[in-house]
Amino acid sequence: MSEQKQKHEASDYNLSINEKKILIDLGELECTIPKTLAEKTSLKPEAAMQSAFLLEEKGLAKVDEEFSVNYTITGEGVEYADNGLPERQIVEYISEPVAIDDLKNQLSPKMVGIAIGWLKKKGWADVKNSMIMPSVNSPEIGDDEKILSRFKQYAQEPDKSGIAFTEKELLEKDSEKSALKDLLKRKLVIKNEEKYRYVSITNQGRKLVSQGIEIEEEITQLTSQLLKTGEWKNKNFRSYNIHTPPKPVYGAKIHPYQRLINQMRQIFIEMGFTEIKGEIIQSSFWNFDALFQPQDHPARDMQDTFHLESTSEIDEECKDNVCAMHEHGGDISSTGWGGLWDENIARRNVLRTHTTAVTIKYLADNPEPPVKAFCIDRAYRRETIDPTHLPEFEQLEGVVMDKNMSFANLLGCLAEFYHRMGFENVRFRPGYFPYTEPSVEPEVYIDGMGWIELGGAGIFRKEVTDPLGIKHPVLAWGLGVSRVAMLKLGLRDLRELYQSDIDWIRKSEVCRL
Amino acid sequence: MPVITLNYEDLESLTSVDRDTIVEQIPMMGADIERIEDEYIDIEFFPDRPDLYSVEGAARALRGFLNIETGLQDYKLDSSNIEIEKDEDIEHIRPYLACAVIRNVNFNANSIKSLMDLQEDLHWGVGRNRKKVSIGVHDLSNITPPFRYMAADPDKEFIPLDFTEPMSMNQILEKHPKGMKFAYILESFDKYPMILDAEDNVLSFPPIINSKRTQITENTTDLFIDVTGLSESVYVALNVLVTALADRGGSVESVKIIDSDGNEKTLPDLEPLSCKLEVSEINSLIGTGLSQDEILKQLQRMRYGADIKNNKSIEVKVPPYRADILHNYDIVEDIAIGYGYDNIQPVFPESATFGSAHEVSIISDNICEIMTGLGYSEVMSFTLSNERVHFDNMCRNITDDVTYVMHPISEDQTIVRTTILPNLMEILSMNQHRELPQSIFEFGDVVINSKIHRNLAAVSIHPEVNFTDIREIVDAVMRERMVEYEVEESDDPAFIGGRRADILVNGKKVGVMGEIYPQVITNFGLGEPVIGFEMEIMDY
Repeated sequence: MSEQKQKHEASDYNLSINEKKILIDLGELECTIPKTLAEKTSLKPEAAMQSAFLLEEKGLAKVDEEFSVNYTITGEGVEYADNGLPERQIVEYISEPVAIDDLKNQLSPKMVGIAIGWLKKKGWADVKNSMIMPSVNSPEIGDDEKILSRFKQYAQEPDKSGIAFTEKELLEKDSEKSALKDLLKRKLVIKNEEKYRYVSITNQGRKLVSQGIEIEEEITQLTSQLLKTGEWKNKNFRSYNIHTPPKPVYGAKIHPYQRLINQMRQIFIEMGFTEIKGEIIQSSFWNFDALFQPQDHPARDMQDTFHLESTSEIDEECKDNVCAMHEHGGDISSTGWGGLWDENIARRNVLRTHTTAVTIKYLADNPEPPVKAFCIDRAYRRETIDPTHLPEFEQLEGVVMDKNMSFANLLGCLAEFYHRMGFENVRFRPGYFPYTEPSVEPEVYIDGMGWIELGGAGIFRKEVTDPLGIKHPVLAWGLGVSRVAMLKLGLRDLRELYQSDIDWIRKSEVCRL
Repeated sequence: MPVITLNYEDLESLTSVDRDTIVEQIPMMGADIERIEDEYIDIEFFPDRPDLYSVEGAARALRGFLNIETGLQDYKLDSSNIEIEKDEDIEHIRPYLACAVIRNVNFNANSIKSLMDLQEDLHWGVGRNRKKVSIGVHDLSNITPPFRYMAADPDKEFIPLDFTEPMSMNQILEKHPKGMKFAYILESFDKYPMILDAEDNVLSFPPIINSKRTQITENTTDLFIDVTGLSESVYVALNVLVTALADRGGSVESVKIIDSDGNEKTLPDLEPLSCKLEVSEINSLIGTGLSQDEILKQLQRMRYGADIKNNKSIEVKVPPYRADILHNYDIVEDIAIGYGYDNIQPVFPESATFGSAHEVSIISDNICEIMTGLGYSEVMSFTLSNERVHFDNMCRNITDDVTYVMHPISEDQTIVRTTILPNLMEILSMNQHRELPQSIFEFGDVVINSKIHRNLAAVSIHPEVNFTDIREIVDAVMRERMVEYEVEESDDPAFIGGRRADILVNGKKVGVMGEIYPQVITNFGLGEPVIGFEMEIMDY
């Protein structure tokens, strides 16, 4: 078994052309630096190293790294090596106290400036009252000057010009180290830290080389030329590392929220419902009055509803019936709201506060049973924006109108709808909505959160249906789509739906919904 | 909605049931639990049930629901022999009046607060914030009947609650906290409502404030209650209040109200309202086959009086404190709640219908396929916008087809959009830290001259976008939609001159495309070239 796994020939190693070239050269050189390797194989140094690393992975070569520290002289350093350090030049120049300003006139002001500090530090002169007073004549050559002169001396040797020197080469004694530090500080010498790589061949590599390595050309990119000529048949395809992780790419996509809405739409259509749509601007009549919302109801206030300056005409027949219902209960045994119903209030336009304004009008226009309709659209409330409240949001609404519809049928619709939405556990609690009776609040069970109220439902009051000529019970339910979106998309802030982070759209998975 | 704090100890003693049962049953009775604490529970009752806004009322309903005490609760009513006269000139200001007397009440600090809370919740729930109904509760010992309800001159002075000096009614409206808050209710009148006693002492200035003289203290035992307002709701509000006080141990006494024509009315009227329900009507609405006995049982649990009328129908007596019973179906709902929603078998309707999508949705699906295929991702933005973003930032003039909202809640939402491009520019501006290129589109609603239209708009931002790119995109959209179109020089200032074109279908302008004008780009804080187009797809 193990023999089968043992690699014997070049082909067992799946070597690329470059790897083969490098290996052959390494067989000759044994150990070398990347630059040499690159020159010998006529590859770019990076490509040569890449192949060397790949050979190392395969156990055929070895790459070692070494760090070295060396020193080079700067332009300023060269100048001083030639002419002497500034403090040396000055101390040689003067023999008695001299004013700094005079000296600056005679020599370069920059040089005088540099020299003063070092003259003091080295004890070669004293500075008082803008005067330089030399304390020694021709002081001894310092360690720093010796080091500089070595740079100069070495630079004249033909094979060392311009090359860096190690500490060992530069210093004769350990005590010169502090002088070297001063030179570094004065930026006359620069310290370089370099990483050196050495590539060497392993025994395994040698064995392979001794067996002989054949260099044949491989196909990297398949071309039309190769296809046309059929040349590909005689060549090998370069193998790629299939384990290299890809860079993520993102396709253009449908907004995740739209995908959720589409899903809900699909559920309704599968259940036999007709999709309806309507105006954003609705009269108060269709938004409130037709739904038996009393004219003094707080929800109609400026506080909660976006009112507009425009008004709408109201259909005469509907108007009289709705008026009668509000004032005294119309033709059914209801008490109505009492008081007077004001047509002018009903004519005022609002931004629809619910999509029920659209469904009720549709029912009034289509009173013949059966009607199964749904609407998923935007509704508007005068809410201050915060993470869970927005002045506009999507609402979903379904209605069923048919002979003999009952509350049990409503629960049947709700159970079916929520199950199809992916909520397995649904329960029903009493609820209150101004235009339904009986009313119910469906709740769904969500792991980790418990029972969550998800919408409202009920049978439209007779006070709603009767004035509009709707003769049969209407089952109705609605829910805030954004609430479902938050649950399903794991959002914490509703604004993310409408003010999209493009990265969020890019990264949200198509199959999450 | 009013949130009522119910103390477990009170509830347990009023219902003799443990707290777990109470917590479990309350939601099934028709209320939302707001908070569960060690000592108490906060419950939000529905706004149509003001009779549940007190511990007494909630306990009364719970006792029924838990089968501890069922059927109609009887309230004894004696006459107080107190009269109140109503002047003619109040009829056009605040015409409705209901009064009652309660004797032998034991007050402590807690129960006074509880009464005040109930009063405030009724002001909210029934009273439309005192406009429609407002309530005054007075210590009867400091005033002398008979009383008088009249329209008084605004200069009339008395010491209002929470103050020590006499103030005129006008001063109260200007300076008293309650006066300032509710002054708007009286702003169109030159005389104000007032209730006086036989010695011209002021009881109250409805719907603003009571007189300090009649303030309730822990020593108060006898109460006079006035409820004034604009509709018959005053009667049920009074009933809710007196039944709660009766449940606390007070005895209710009636008051005679005499109007200027000499008509007399004795209130409160605690007689239950009778109505007849057909068994078949009940079962067909709920979708059940409940027997007459079962229905009777559930009605009694919900605290109705109920008797068999004949083998098909039931006689129901509605408690006088129920404000929400407008129609028989309101009673049927209570039967369903009593029976338990979870006991009703859900049945999917058999109605045979075919489902169908709206034209807009079908087009929307097509557009999404076209645009995502072209590398544009969908966004969904707000339809509410403002003039700054919509016009100023776009370097466009304000048009006269815009819908303004009357009382905007913030300066960010003052109009309904007529175009989508500004929203897309805003989204780009929010995404400056994200990788380029960014190409987005929206197929969304706009409102032009109060009518809804459906527009398609798209933008793309990238260092190398130009007119050709957007020209190609528009061409592709039109080709896929099989719409013939032409282009014409545009003068839209949102685009660069010479690099903008109007899109025409059948000679009519439907949209515009081009390279966005540099000033527009910088107005949105962007730093790379942007191209875009917008066109109307349909109205509906």
